[in-house]
Amino acid sequence: MTIVIQQLITSVSVGGLYAVLAVGYALIYSVFDFTNFAFGGVMMVAAFSGYFVSNAGFGTVPSMIVAIATGIVVSIAVELLAYRPMRKKNAKRLFLMISAMGVNIFLTNLYLSLFGANLRTLPSGFASNTISIMNVQIGTVDIAAFLTSVAALLILSFFLYRTRPGITVRASAIDVSTAGLMGINVNRVSLIVFVISGITAAIAGMFFGMKYTVYPGMGSMSTKAFIASVIGGLGSLQGAVLGGFLLGILETLVAGYISATYRDLFSFGAMIIILMFMPNGLVGKGDQSKL
Amino acid sequence: MYIASVVVTICSNIIAVIGLALLTGYTGMFSLGHAGFMCIGAYGAVLLNRYLMVPYVFALILGGFAAVIVSLIIGYPTLRNKLRGDYFAICMLGFGTVVRLILNNMNNPITNGALGITNIPKLTSLWSALLFMAVLVYFMWNFVNSQYGKNCVAIQQQEVAAEMMGVSIVRTKLLSLAISAFYCGVAGGLLGFWLQYIAPASFSDTRSNDFLATLVTGGTNSITGPLLAAIFLTTMLEYLRFLVNWRLVVYGLLYILIMRFRPEGIMGYKEFSLKKTIQFFKEFPQNKVKIKEKWTRFRAERKKKTNGRRENCE
Repeated sequence: MTIVIQQLITSVSVGGLYAVLAVGYALIYSVFDFTNFAFGGVMMVAAFSGYFVSNAGFGTVPSMIVAIATGIVVSIAVELLAYRPMRKKNAKRLFLMISAMGVNIFLTNLYLSLFGANLRTLPSGFASNTISIMNVQIGTVDIAAFLTSVAALLILSFFLYRTRPGITVRASAIDVSTAGLMGINVNRVSLIVFVISGITAAIAGMFFGMKYTVYPGMGSMSTKAFIASVIGGLGSLQGAVLGGFLLGILETLVAGYISATYRDLFSFGAMIIILMFMPNGLVGKGDQSKL
Repeated sequence: MYIASVVVTICSNIIAVIGLALLTGYTGMFSLGHAGFMCIGAYGAVLLNRYLMVPYVFALILGGFAAVIVSLIIGYPTLRNKLRGDYFAICMLGFGTVVRLILNNMNNPITNGALGITNIPKLTSLWSALLFMAVLVYFMWNFVNSQYGKNCVAIQQQEVAAEMMGVSIVRTKLLSLAISAFYCGVAGGLLGFWLQYIAPASFSDTRSNDFLATLVTGGTNSITGPLLAAIFLTTMLEYLRFLVNWRLVVYGLLYILIMRFRPEGIMGYKEFSLKKTIQFFKEFPQNKVKIKEKWTRFRAERKKKTNGRRENCE
């Protein structure tokens, strides 16, 4: 019984991180209608700068702040240098996708060539500590990850539903060009969206780094987040959160009870099955139900 | 021998890239998992040859068909219901990983897990590779210029309009996916019988990236463009061995820059023709003047544009 509870707690903390990442995907998808495949690269770069800072002797909080700052800078740089000029030319979605994948490949392999493929452990304040509640051992990292991701999601939903800039983002999600005609500065909306996605990438990257390791290929975790947002319904925020938690639970249970090597197989299989029977995801209702 | 090896690699790359050109270029679907099909084709062909004594040519073709079957299994759920290309892209990304993962972890004497299959008879010769390449390129050329190929281009340009004109979107997409999988499968088999050794690691994501980079450089809407790019990039890699680890960095930049400035690739919508090239060089003195004129006109226009912008700002 205790093992089951422990597994569930781990899965919820992983699921929270997936949810945070999936929300970053969903935001960009809902506003600009394309998948930002560069997300994994941004996450990796943010985690690496967090690693360097904490390696230099600073604590968890400063390295988190640096990671978030890096995430924001890289995310905005990608938007300004790669996506915005293409959107101005009304480029096809296919071209945007190839460009995004190019950013991802570029960042991943740049870091691979510069720093090598070694696995690095993030020296965090609460890496190996555990709290014992009624014989259930819970890693403090798991609790921190869960609390942080829930807090991030709450702040984000407050921002989107209660503030003026958030309303402009939601309006653009329904229709970018109409929103532009109504006097919303779409370029500012794109900056807001990419800042948010940079922050989510950095948070998830840091916690993945603490739970597992930091390495150039860690961006592939964000593929899972994409699966999560597909399971929940692409482009919908609630769906992204739901899908993130579901995928986290599925993965941990598979890793715990079947085999850790086939974890990825099960997550992709889950996505294919969902697409077979519910092409719009669990809560998505087609293109109308965005955000 | 060394040159033969380079040529066979080029042939295999050309076949795979041309298959990808149909899918990504003509039909407009993005895939980063085609190394998975190559892997299935190679394993299929080699195992059929080894255990069922299927002759070389048939083994290659059957290996290709194995890839086709798998492609239909993945393609149907992701392409039906007019789902967005994103689902397909991510599925293919996962597919490449999953194929490698399964083969890596299957510890039986037949596929031999991560160690791969060794002692494959060397059945691919320089000439058979060239022949396969020529035949498959010819087929693809005919396909692209046929009614089916035009359906694919119609879908790429305007999906809704194509459907209005009576093109079955799901069927056409599945067809082009199946054909591209077949091409990649054959390319994998060809390479396996040449290298005499296949392992899951030799069909990594890097290989899919190589194909896509070749395609993007050559031009997504032409057959000869990717063909020339495959020859060029593969020989370049031989000369720039020391840059092997940095090539993916360059590829990433290449994707971004080409998509930013010339999304249709270097060849664009044109096909390379020998006649025109020879003519161009025969009339080089005249053409030189023409190019100069074009250049000055281009610069003048550019100047005008920037001046106009400046005035607007003021």
